[in-house]
Amino acid sequence: MQQRSVKEKEPRLRSSTVALRLNNLGVEFPTALGNPVVAIRDLSLEIDHGTILGLVGESGAGKTTLARSLLNLPPVPGRITSGECIFDGTDLRKLSEGEQRKRRGRDLSIIVPNPRSELNPMITVGDQIATRAEIHLKIDRAEAQARALEMLKKVQIPDPVRRMKAYPHELSGGMAQRVVIAMALVCSPQFVISDDASSGLDVTVQAQILRLMRELAMEQQSAMLFITRDIGIAAHFCDQVAVMYAGEIVEIGTRENIFLRPRHPYTIMLMAAFSHNAGLRAQWRRPDDQAAPRNSQGACSYASRCPLAQEACRSDHPHLRELALGHQARCHFPVERL
Amino acid sequence: MNTLTYIARRLMFIAPQILGIVLVSFLLVKTIPGDPATLMLGPTATPQAITALRHEMGLDQPVLIQFGIYLRNLSKGDLGTSWQTTRPVLEDLLMRFPATLELVSAGLLTAILIGLPLGLVSAFRPKSWFARAVDFYSLGVGSLPDFWLALVLIFIFYTLLGIAPPPLGRIDLALTPPPQITGMYLIDTLLIWDLPAFRSSLSHLVLPVLALGLINAGPILKMTQSTVEKMLQSDFSRYEVLCGLPHNLVLRHALRNALPSILTIISVLYGFLIGGAVLIEIIFSWGGAGQYAVQGVLNSDLFPVLGFVLFSAIFSLTVYLIVDLIYFAIDPRLGN
Amino acid sequence: MAVLKKPTNRSLKGDFGLGDYAQLVVRIAIARPRFLLGYLIVIVVILLGAFAPWIAPYSPVEADPSRVLLPPSWNYLMGTDSVGMDIFSRTIFAPRIDLTIAVSATLISAALGSLIGAIVGYYGEGKGIRSWLGGGVMRSADVIQAFPVFVLAIALVASLGQSPSTVVAAITFVNTPIYLRLMRSQVLSIRRARFVQAARVAGCSDWSIIMRHVMPNAMSPVLAQLSVNIGWAVLLTAGLSFVGAGVRAPTPEWGSMIAMGFQDLVTGYWWPSVCPGLVLSISVFGFTLVGASIEVFSDPAKRRTLISEISPRKVTQVTSEPAH
Repeated sequence: MQQRSVKEKEPRLRSSTVALRLNNLGVEFPTALGNPVVAIRDLSLEIDHGTILGLVGESGAGKTTLARSLLNLPPVPGRITSGECIFDGTDLRKLSEGEQRKRRGRDLSIIVPNPRSELNPMITVGDQIATRAEIHLKIDRAEAQARALEMLKKVQIPDPVRRMKAYPHELSGGMAQRVVIAMALVCSPQFVISDDASSGLDVTVQAQILRLMRELAMEQQSAMLFITRDIGIAAHFCDQVAVMYAGEIVEIGTRENIFLRPRHPYTIMLMAAFSHNAGLRAQWRRPDDQAAPRNSQGACSYASRCPLAQEACRSDHPHLRELALGHQARCHFPVERL
Repeated sequence: MNTLTYIARRLMFIAPQILGIVLVSFLLVKTIPGDPATLMLGPTATPQAITALRHEMGLDQPVLIQFGIYLRNLSKGDLGTSWQTTRPVLEDLLMRFPATLELVSAGLLTAILIGLPLGLVSAFRPKSWFARAVDFYSLGVGSLPDFWLALVLIFIFYTLLGIAPPPLGRIDLALTPPPQITGMYLIDTLLIWDLPAFRSSLSHLVLPVLALGLINAGPILKMTQSTVEKMLQSDFSRYEVLCGLPHNLVLRHALRNALPSILTIISVLYGFLIGGAVLIEIIFSWGGAGQYAVQGVLNSDLFPVLGFVLFSAIFSLTVYLIVDLIYFAIDPRLGN
Repeated sequence: MAVLKKPTNRSLKGDFGLGDYAQLVVRIAIARPRFLLGYLIVIVVILLGAFAPWIAPYSPVEADPSRVLLPPSWNYLMGTDSVGMDIFSRTIFAPRIDLTIAVSATLISAALGSLIGAIVGYYGEGKGIRSWLGGGVMRSADVIQAFPVFVLAIALVASLGQSPSTVVAAITFVNTPIYLRLMRSQVLSIRRARFVQAARVAGCSDWSIIMRHVMPNAMSPVLAQLSVNIGWAVLLTAGLSFVGAGVRAPTPEWGSMIAMGFQDLVTGYWWPSVCPGLVLSISVFGFTLVGASIEVFSDPAKRRTLISEISPRKVTQVTSEPAH
């Protein structure tokens, strides 16, 4: 796998290989009293065709907000305050609502978690997939139904012909997840977002689903943003990994870089958390661990939880620095060696 | 389970439910002060005559025995006699119930025709001035007493404008009412092709139906609007938007998912209005069943009350059964 | 999706002063003027009723045959009725009876219905006798609700004797099943939530679970229903009085006033019926609006929508995180 370098704020000239570029995205949530909560701060990303970028972070880091903001539909009551989302040469945010709608589902699609609550309970699964094909690809009903059936076969649903007429409540979690994947991929989109798609499933089913998604994405040479809370899954599955904390990317690099040479204390803490070595776990967490703060403009947002925090960390907000080719971290004192 | 089994099971439950309702109303009605025998015979009756009549009517027995007698008579089709009209209650109700049914059905239909479209449009365009106006309408109209609105309508359309007939019954006093086939004037006059009677019945229906319709449009409107809105805010609707489905389609789907709730409120209203249109019936001298029951209560005439409760309970339960069957047809999550 | 979400430290938990809350109230009032209207109406009506003896220009129960059916004028703001009583004075005295009856009936039925509903919802499922009792209560509620409401209320008043307290009893009786059902369905769904099971595993007593975990979460639809219910109870009281089964004349009560004016209205004297009805409608309207506001405040999803509509305030200086 070729190494690709990812830099913040610099315009890339190789736009033909870049599927989606996000520049300086900012999203905030207004509150009743007090200032708005900044959910995502000045975030930039680039994903090339045929690669999978993993985005790892804990609950509340802003992952789902990011996923939906890419489609210009942040969760209510969020508001996008800045940034460009450039797909296929055009900034999505500048398009008309109708144009945006056309691209959603056809060029950019999203695989959602909790599939059974996201599917319309009164329409058969087959019809739901076929509708998306019919509308986006402008084909007739019969052809759309055929495509839907084909997708169901591709996602390896058992007995696909019968399942076409099934309703969402009749499916198990794993099957419903496959259906959602089928829906997301039926129009062969160039960019797929998978928002925590495997989290509610059994471990064995998880593995199958992940393999499936990767195969299908590679088959169509789509770019994929794979969002997860589990850094271990990102390790097995993604070409590049970005670690997100408190609305910012704190480390980003290729799979080898991140897992062989993690530099940011938070990344290390995430990996240590899965380790069997209790001493290692204890080393990288502080005893008074709490949720991510927001609005910490004058400091590193991780400073309050970082066991290696120093004076500079509390007074200066760090920027993403390139530490090696294709490897960036947002830390004043990145870890040299474990 | 298939439909027939379901219907059979429901019907099985209806019998004890109705029994319960009749028992409770019997006990309740017995607590109303006033001795029917005394009232029937009038102020000149002798004590012996009263005692004799009481014995004949079984009023000197314990309450539960009286209930047993009532049930036995019920099984023979005898709902008792009204001392006010001196006719069997069954006869009275067969004449009056269709009048109420006609009024309430027309009123509910009007309410649906007003409320459903308004609710839909305001759910589809939630921030528009139209939605705000519709909101205001439903809040406002739900605050009006139905009897007061009826009076206001009478004042405007009869007293001031003179275009409505006087609030004195179902048909012009000078015309003969149609023979009782269904009991509903609109239908019966058409069946015998008596056009002047038809027109008169229709014109007499306008004001009370308008009053009922305007007010009951409120709950239908609110339920439509809030359920459709809720559907639009639900996960699956948002997902459809995320997938780029056109707005019209998302709206249609939301409506389809909202249908069960809308049907529920319509059925509840239908059952409620049978007894709830009483005040309108009184104002317009409609001669309906609700009016009959209220007069029964106020005059200690008990059998009409019981008969009315029986009729309206059977009606409500039947409506609920039909609605549940419709649910089975439209919601794939039920049954199977 | 879970009813409760785990708390996140998303907003600055700084000190919010009275000024901030006042600003918030103003912003809500601008975004939803109808709420303000509702609260104003309710306050005005209550004040009118409370201070009626001092505000009313005439006695509400003295009939004066020399001033029968006078149209509205400066002397008689709403005119006089068919026995010569001043309609305006009677109209502002009426809330004393109407509101008292409505509020009492609603509160009693809400308390009673919620309690029974919570108990039935919590205990009424599962083993043998419990589910039988639970089923029995629910079927009884069915029976009460299958009755034509109005006829039932009239029958109750007739059987208990006609007085304001029996009207309260009748309305309470008719109203209780609504809260019973509401509470029961809330409790049923909350009972299955994980945090309740966790509390049980942790050894909390049933009673403390009901009081501290289940009831607070179940309260919000009940609260939203209360104010609207009060409005409905006022309408029912007026309706009962209209047929003569509610409050007796000459006690000023909106419904009986409308009834008194019925015959005159048909012949053209509209004010004895229309004026009290108008005030009645406006009062109920106010209660309904208040109910709508409570509904928005107590439902997190609606709250979020409201928050996103409030105009953004000017951003003050960002305070830095307190040092750890």
